[in-house]
Amino acid sequence: MNTIPHAAMDPALQLEVEQFLYAEAELLDARGFREWLGLLTEDVRYWMPTRANRSIREYALEVAGPGEMAHYDDDLGSLTTRVRRIESNQAWSEDPPSRTRRFVTNVRIKPDGSELAVRSSLLVYQHRLEREVNVFAAGRQDVLRRTHDGLRIASRKVLLDQTVVLANNISVFF
Amino acid sequence: MIDLDEHVDLERGVMSRKVFVDDDIYRLELERIFSRSWLFLAHESQLPKSGSFVSTYMGEDPVIVVRRSDGSIGAVLNSCRHRGMKVCRADVGTTRAFRCSYHGWTYGLDGDLVSVPNMAEGYRNELDMSRWGLLRVPRVESYKGLIFGTWDAEAQPVEEALGDITFLLDTFLDRRPGGTEVIGGVQKWVMGGNWKLAAEQFASDMYHSFLLHASAWQALAPEGADLSEMVFPSVGSQMTSQGSGGGWFHDPTGAGSAVLGPVLAADFTDPAVWERLGEVKAGGPIGCHATVFPNFSFLGAFRVLRVWHPRGPHEMEVWSWTLVDKDQSPEIKDAWRRFASMTFGPTGTFEQDDGEIWTDLQRVSRGHIAQTVDLNYQMGIGHEVTDHPDYPGRINHVYSDNAARGFYERWLELMKTPLRPGQRGNATARAGQEVTR
Ligand code: FES
Ligand SMILES: [Fe+2]
Repeated sequence: MNTIPHAAMDPALQLEVEQFLYAEAELLDARGFREWLGLLTEDVRYWMPTRANRSIREYALEVAGPGEMAHYDDDLGSLTTRVRRIESNQAWSEDPPSRTRRFVTNVRIKPDGSELAVRSSLLVYQHRLEREVNVFAAGRQDVLRRTHDGLRIASRKVLLDQTVVLANNISVFF
Repeated sequence: MIDLDEHVDLERGVMSRKVFVDDDIYRLELERIFSRSWLFLAHESQLPKSGSFVSTYMGEDPVIVVRRSDGSIGAVLNSCRHRGMKVCRADVGTTRAFRCSYHGWTYGLDGDLVSVPNMAEGYRNELDMSRWGLLRVPRVESYKGLIFGTWDAEAQPVEEALGDITFLLDTFLDRRPGGTEVIGGVQKWVMGGNWKLAAEQFASDMYHSFLLHASAWQALAPEGADLSEMVFPSVGSQMTSQGSGGGWFHDPTGAGSAVLGPVLAADFTDPAVWERLGEVKAGGPIGCHATVFPNFSFLGAFRVLRVWHPRGPHEMEVWSWTLVDKDQSPEIKDAWRRFASMTFGPTGTFEQDDGEIWTDLQRVSRGHIAQTVDLNYQMGIGHEVTDHPDYPGRINHVYSDNAARGFYERWLELMKTPLRPGQRGNATARAGQEVTR
């Protein structure tokens, strides 16, 4: 019988990282977008590549590469622009605002020097207006960095588990 | 049969939203619009070598677009001739053949049936394989890198059929000698609105841009810009011809360039491009919004192209790509790619709000009473110019419903004209068709 790698985690570190991700999710659910920007490092890369159905032979190409089409391919500047848009009070895709509930699970941590490579699963339930419902399931690959203000997100790759996005638009952050 | 004139009166510029919700009208569109118009299939750069393929749709019909062994490009209906299963279930890839996963009938890149399991025992070698290849799209032709296909074997050549809209297409496809390519990958998403809402808007609706998209213009404006001073441009033109159409401001370096930022603005208004396209095209049309009838659209200043696939009267599926000049540097191409997903696509700061509008608008249109209340398509009616010194087609002010009226004039003309007897897709005269090749 094979064993999969599941080294015993330092419980304090596990707890710290999970609490950080929960707090982040809570902030986004509460529409604290401006504060959320504060959880990102200056040099953050925030990336959600598109995906395509590929035959098993070419499955390695299923996720779009760095120079290919993405739903998000942002840095702090462009994420700030997105937040500024929502704050303009004329962003109709968030006015009236959505209700969102984020579920964060399967948190796995791999320390890497002063940084932490963190994988997690995310489910975002979004309901808006009368009957617009979107459910987004995604895997996240984060790099968290220790700063003197605490943990910060230095990089996030979001693998949305849809090729055709089953939504009118994506007005939420992951 | 539904009387379309009862619902569409383009002389008065009024229309019932019945055309966005009615099932019979939708079915008739699949027959009379989608099975005889030239439809956008793919960009040549998506098919780099022999065996490269992409899956797409013509209306609701799935087709595979393939680069064949001799280098030419063909398209076939993605449906096995045995029991109809899809023979290709990947969106994109490279292959030597298409093998059906149901019983294993296998087709070559050109669609010919090349192998049938148990041919001897089952079919006693009596099956004429030459008659059971995948159904070919009879006409597949390119215009400056864009591949189009039509089910009408007797259609005029694509360049002729595109007609006057090549005037706008060229500002998008022919900016530099090397031509264009699309960035790899595609954004796909669904919107809960009729496909015509989007096609019509991209043809004719600059009017909504600064109001619906106010948040995006504001957010993308350079930091510190005084937004209260932001004046919407008001000088521009709009053209329509054979259902296609588009609009532009006469100063393409105005509002648009502010949000492009210095690097992309410099590429957009490069003097070499200006010279190649000439004063008339570079001085406005280069920044156009446009629709090529029926469901292919593009935005010059955002380098975005897309198809609005019909999915029943109440839904469309949007496929969106970013187009760049092949000759451009990798850095600039990448900047366009990032700008495109920042502005258009499902997360786009502009397009998020279009999705919102079309979905809500569609829902209202289900109302019985709502369908009895006319919609207004009267902007600029009676002020069209057909002999403009610079621009082809029927011209009006950039803020007008000229191109929307033109779109529905063509729509109405096709909807009222049955397919030729014997023409593939003619639902009322199927007997006249050769069913088995
Ligand atoms: S349906 Fe394709 S082989 Fe039977
Ligand atoms: Fe729009």
